[in-house]
Amino acid sequence: MSDITMILGRIGATLSRDVAPRLEGDYAAGHARMSGLLAVMAGELLEKEADLLVNEIARIRSLLEGAGMADDVPEAASLRLSELRKTRNSLAEKLIALQTQLEARDDEGAKALNTQIWGHLLATSVARMPSPPQFHEAEEA
Amino acid sequence: MPEQAVSDPDLARDFIRYAEANMAGARNVSVTAMRRIHGGASRETYSIDLAYEDATGPKTRGVILRKDPPDSLIETERRVEYAAIRSAYGKGGIPAPEALFLETGNEALGRPFFVMGRIEGGEPLNPFSLEGLGEARAPLGRDFFRYLGEIAAIDIEGAPIRQEIDTPTPDTCWKRELDHWANEIRTNAREPQPVAEAAIRYLAANPPPPAQRLSLVHGDYRTGNFLHDGKGGINAILDWEMAHIGDPYEDLGWATDLLWGGNDEARAAGLLPWDEAIAIWQQASGCKFDPEAFEWWSLFSHLKGLGIWISSARAYADAKNDDPVLAFAGWFTRCAHETMLAHRLAVKHGVPA
Repeated sequence: MSDITMILGRIGATLSRDVAPRLEGDYAAGHARMSGLLAVMAGELLEKEADLLVNEIARIRSLLEGAGMADDVPEAASLRLSELRKTRNSLAEKLIALQTQLEARDDEGAKALNTQIWGHLLATSVARMPSPPQFHEAEEA
Repeated sequence: MPEQAVSDPDLARDFIRYAEANMAGARNVSVTAMRRIHGGASRETYSIDLAYEDATGPKTRGVILRKDPPDSLIETERRVEYAAIRSAYGKGGIPAPEALFLETGNEALGRPFFVMGRIEGGEPLNPFSLEGLGEARAPLGRDFFRYLGEIAAIDIEGAPIRQEIDTPTPDTCWKRELDHWANEIRTNAREPQPVAEAAIRYLAANPPPPAQRLSLVHGDYRTGNFLHDGKGGINAILDWEMAHIGDPYEDLGWATDLLWGGNDEARAAGLLPWDEAIAIWQQASGCKFDPEAFEWWSLFSHLKGLGIWISSARAYADAKNDDPVLAFAGWFTRCAHETMLAHRLAVKHGVPA
């Protein structure tokens, strides 16, 4: 039983379909239903989080390189999510600084690189968007 | 588990004592039902059924108690919320609750609180489930935009909220709000926010026109923050805790944010065709629709959303508030607003739509 995504999904279903209806009318019912949705979302993200972080790290390094900006952020010490996130966050700070510099310039090169950064920011946001919550399923159960 | 008629007997006992001392002419007060309402994570909210007698005989009354959470540092906002409700109550057709009592001390119920009259007969609307409205959708939209306009049209001179909060000038409304939410984001973010930071820079560099008028801004006027009768009528407008004085376009941008309209681009707020919605709002508010102003405040609404959700996530992560709705807001709705903001700004910067 190491399939954590499956386990969180099952916990979510139990909270939403079995626990919350028995608490109906009580303040805790809303908490149980919402906790169930969160468990399902956590399972979904866990499955893809490492992949998302590795891709974000690679894309930001590529953008910094394209701008000739020094990339002194070391490789993540391990593939633990916390280590990958630390590396991604350090790089994201550099990306904010780079974009701010580019916006102060008026040349075509700066505009083109800024467009690439926006393409990265949009792609990252879309990739991190959770699946729509199944409110109907939780409410009807 | 069967519902308890009085979910918190100790609180009910204290509330009875308070009501007997403060409800003019009331005696033999009792609480016949009390339940905590889910949601409203910033304050503990209780629905209470009171029975009492006055000079004319036995009476019953439903009230809503909004009690500060244990770690609250928001006295100013409580006073502003109370004053905003008083400012809107009885104006036009706005179904604002009646503000009854404001208590700023801890003596009566252990923490500060205020009490409103309960508006009967409505139910909340989940902004993620609008398709169930059926034929009630358009009539509900007409009420929604009429009341939004009527709030904007309230004469703020002499209104209670003027005593509780600063009034900006028409050309500084945008900057005050942008600075406020930028500060919220920077104070509470647990990770770098490249989309929010880029949006803050863009909005600051491309300001909107000055406000056409200074209005009472509800601050959180949207689907989910009103009660409706299921037949197309709005019974009550709730959650005035972010109310302030400012540009009425702030409320228009927030009310029509795609998040609250089920991502329905064809209908304003997911309820009504855009032309009709704007016409109703213009007539009720006395404002003229300005696409430039709307574009800025609409973009700003995504950023304001990020500020709210990032603050929610921080409160949950720091264990200041265990309500899981804060975690959901800090995750799903934050991602939704960030994606909307990234999409609109990316297109403005040359990324294909």
